[in-house]
Amino acid sequence: MESLLQHLDRFSELLAVSRTAHVRTWDPVTVRRALQWARYLRHIHRRFGRHGPIRTALERRLHNQWRQEGGFGRGPVPGLANFQALGHGDVLLSLRLLENQALGDAARHHLVQQLFPGPGVPDADEETLQESLARLARCGSAVHMLRFNGYRKNLNLQEDSLMKTQAELLLERLQEVGKAEAEGPSRFLSRLWERLPQNNFLKVIAVALLQPPLSPRPQEESEPSIHKTPGEGSQALVHWLLGNSEVFAAFCRALPAGLLTLVTSRHPALSPVYLGLLTDWGQRLHYDLQKGIWVGTESQDVPWEELHNRFQSLCQAPPPLKDKVLTALETCKAQDGDFEVPGLSIWTDLLLALRSGAFRKRQVLGLSPGLSSV
Amino acid sequence: MAQDSVDLSCDYQFWMQKLSVWDQASTLETQQDTCVHLARFQEFLRKMYEALKEMDSNTIFERFPTIDQLLAKACWNPFILAYDESQKILIWCLCCLINKEPQNSRQSKLNSWVQGVLSHILSALRFDKEVALFTQGLGYAPIDYYPGLLKNMVLSLASELRENHLNGFNTQRRMTPEQLASLSRVCVPLITLPDVDPLVEALLVCHGHEPQEILQPEFFEAVNEAILLKKISLPMSAVVCLWLRHLPSLEKAMLHLFEKLISSESNCLRRIECFIKDSSLPQAACHPAIFRVVDEMFRCALLETDGAPEIIATIQVFTQCFLEALEKENKQLRFALKTYFPYTSPSLAMVLLQDPQDVPRGRWLQTLKHISELLREAVEDQTHGSRGGPLESWFLFIRFGGWAEMVAEQLLRSAAEPPAALLWLLAFYYSPRDGRQQRAQTMVQVKAVLGHLLAMSRSSSLSARDLQTAAGQDTDTDPRAPAEQLIRRLLLHFVLWAPGGHTIARDVVTLLAHTAEITHEIIGFLDQTLYRWDRLGIESPRSGKLARELLKELRTQV
Repeated sequence: MESLLQHLDRFSELLAVSRTAHVRTWDPVTVRRALQWARYLRHIHRRFGRHGPIRTALERRLHNQWRQEGGFGRGPVPGLANFQALGHGDVLLSLRLLENQALGDAARHHLVQQLFPGPGVPDADEETLQESLARLARCGSAVHMLRFNGYRKNLNLQEDSLMKTQAELLLERLQEVGKAEAEGPSRFLSRLWERLPQNNFLKVIAVALLQPPLSPRPQEESEPSIHKTPGEGSQALVHWLLGNSEVFAAFCRALPAGLLTLVTSRHPALSPVYLGLLTDWGQRLHYDLQKGIWVGTESQDVPWEELHNRFQSLCQAPPPLKDKVLTALETCKAQDGDFEVPGLSIWTDLLLALRSGAFRKRQVLGLSPGLSSV
Repeated sequence: MAQDSVDLSCDYQFWMQKLSVWDQASTLETQQDTCVHLARFQEFLRKMYEALKEMDSNTIFERFPTIDQLLAKACWNPFILAYDESQKILIWCLCCLINKEPQNSRQSKLNSWVQGVLSHILSALRFDKEVALFTQGLGYAPIDYYPGLLKNMVLSLASELRENHLNGFNTQRRMTPEQLASLSRVCVPLITLPDVDPLVEALLVCHGHEPQEILQPEFFEAVNEAILLKKISLPMSAVVCLWLRHLPSLEKAMLHLFEKLISSESNCLRRIECFIKDSSLPQAACHPAIFRVVDEMFRCALLETDGAPEIIATIQVFTQCFLEALEKENKQLRFALKTYFPYTSPSLAMVLLQDPQDVPRGRWLQTLKHISELLREAVEDQTHGSRGGPLESWFLFIRFGGWAEMVAEQLLRSAAEPPAALLWLLAFYYSPRDGRQQRAQTMVQVKAVLGHLLAMSRSSSLSARDLQTAAGQDTDTDPRAPAEQLIRRLLLHFVLWAPGGHTIARDVVTLLAHTAEITHEIIGFLDQTLYRWDRLGIESPRSGKLARELLKELRTQV
């Protein structure tokens, strides 16, 4: 067992080095040995992927490595990224070496020969490295072609395939980081927030929060890995959002109303904070007598239309969210003085707008104009 | 060798030109043209590799100065990279260009260039900067997530297609015909990639609401090819959709089956049954439109071979497989029998479709007589506008091997006067085109032979020659004439069944089989008889053993 773990360490180092100029010193023998190690670990992954104790031991070793490297979120992982990576460590190594300009001519020539030996007897047992690489190339072409000849961005972000894939990856990573250290996910997410394009990141978070909970399956390997305890990643996300008010504010501003409604319905812990934000935004607006509308004082204030939009969307959510929202609005209206006349309290006006909007909608849909539930 | 090399040079010029025109295959025309040529280009690549691997880098450039351009152009065409093994073979060719020990800067540069192209092929072409940044930020490499991404894209597209199919005009995300056509083109090189199966299935099954076909014929052809070569596995519903939407594919599937039957040992019904079931055609034929096409093709084959016994046997096995498949179909979705046999009287269809296994043995004779009456009525009735006349009725009857092959046996085994109805049926089976008089003559001839055989079956000692004379088999009549074939059958049946038959069996066979063609015919007969006995469970041990031995001996002779 110890020798296996040492192998893991060594290979991880190797993988890290394969990206650097240090490979200048590698000769064909080194290359061959590196590939052999990769193949050995791949074999281990296949054999023991489902074997609880061994897998756990290997994962724990990897987690230790990450902790020593300063944890996740700092950028491309030098060594092995996760346990799954063992299954294609040879591909990772091969690609890094191929792209590395520093590799000497003799070593490179040997590498290419090892990777692409030509037509031969296929290994009945497992896929050869050559086959894996060819399949990756084919897969890449497939994604490219579908992307430009079939894919259309789905306006329901949570159903968009690019968004879904990113969300799945985020959840997977969160779960792993959570296993490695208890406070891991929050720190990890904060680091990502600093480094990644924020708009996209927010969208991915929303989609991740809406991923369907996965039914527990018997231990199985697939890509990306299906978590055995669903919702851990989501919980980490919610926890982090609640702990970072500026992030959450950006989250609520950037994303469309419908999406936020879905997220809040799904994760009730977020609704008080969301409503709190909306209330804050609302209170920043004042009534312009001349124009007859509610306006903000500063340019970054949320305009009336957007506020109305969000409340409208929330009122179409199923209870208990809908009821919470209405209660909140009624409370605010009461605090303001419980006016029925428009132009005095934004909460009154919002409620009026929501009611008439609902009434009009019912008319348009041909429903009875009876007591609306709003 | 020299000729090969000249061919290769010619091909090289041809493909160089093609690749230049195709460029990155971004227009409809270039995509279509690329799709049509994918398989041949791959073959060319293989030949090139075989040539290149024998040479070193310098020699290669002397021989093919523009080889780097050719390979580069191929690598920048995503259709080529996506197809089957082309990307692998391209990589092999590129590897041949590498200099192990570069002597000068030009060779070094070449090595770098090859490395760059290899990276391009393997780098999983990145498109969305945001996605790439995000995944990198998380610490993932393309190999980690590309399969998952492909799966999500495929499932998303498949569900979009289904939505289109179900909701028609209501969906806001309706795919335009151009988008659909483009999608089908793009799938052509990907058909043998298992991850793409759900999308292929959705494209086949969801046919939108346009009156004419939108999907590209190259797509159908490619799917059909993959199905026939067993490189893809699709559910039956998708295969049926394919054959309904694209008639040439169905025809090709039938031809593929015929080829297999011809090239293999066609005188083994068990194997034929395997091939037929394997082809999925009997199941597909449960859809009447497909049944008609299949039927038509069988009909043509029969006409072309002038009613060859092998074709008849194949049709009989096919019909049997078809009926089994029909039985398994959902009762509510089943079509009425009339749709499969529109020109047949319902009563005749009902009788013929009965499986002899389901009819008590004692009633077989009665059933055959009934069949005979109904058929005779249909054949001799010229006035009621029944299509095609006698040949149509014959096409119908021969399908049902269970009954058709039973007539001769029943005639032999009845000790009494052979019923005229059965004589008629037998004569009709072997010679549908005869006029009334000719047929009457045949019936008389058969009756006479039966009489002789009956008499001989009671005698204690039989000789092959006696049998032959009794059957009136003279050497100056055409051995292929239907009547002769009929008589041969009777003799063989007799030999298998009669108590004293086994002693003279081999002599009889030797006397009868004086040409290779007749030997084949007899082999076929023995195989079919054993197959039929096995199905119906009517074999007597002695007859079965005799038949098997004879079959074995004859097979070694041929």
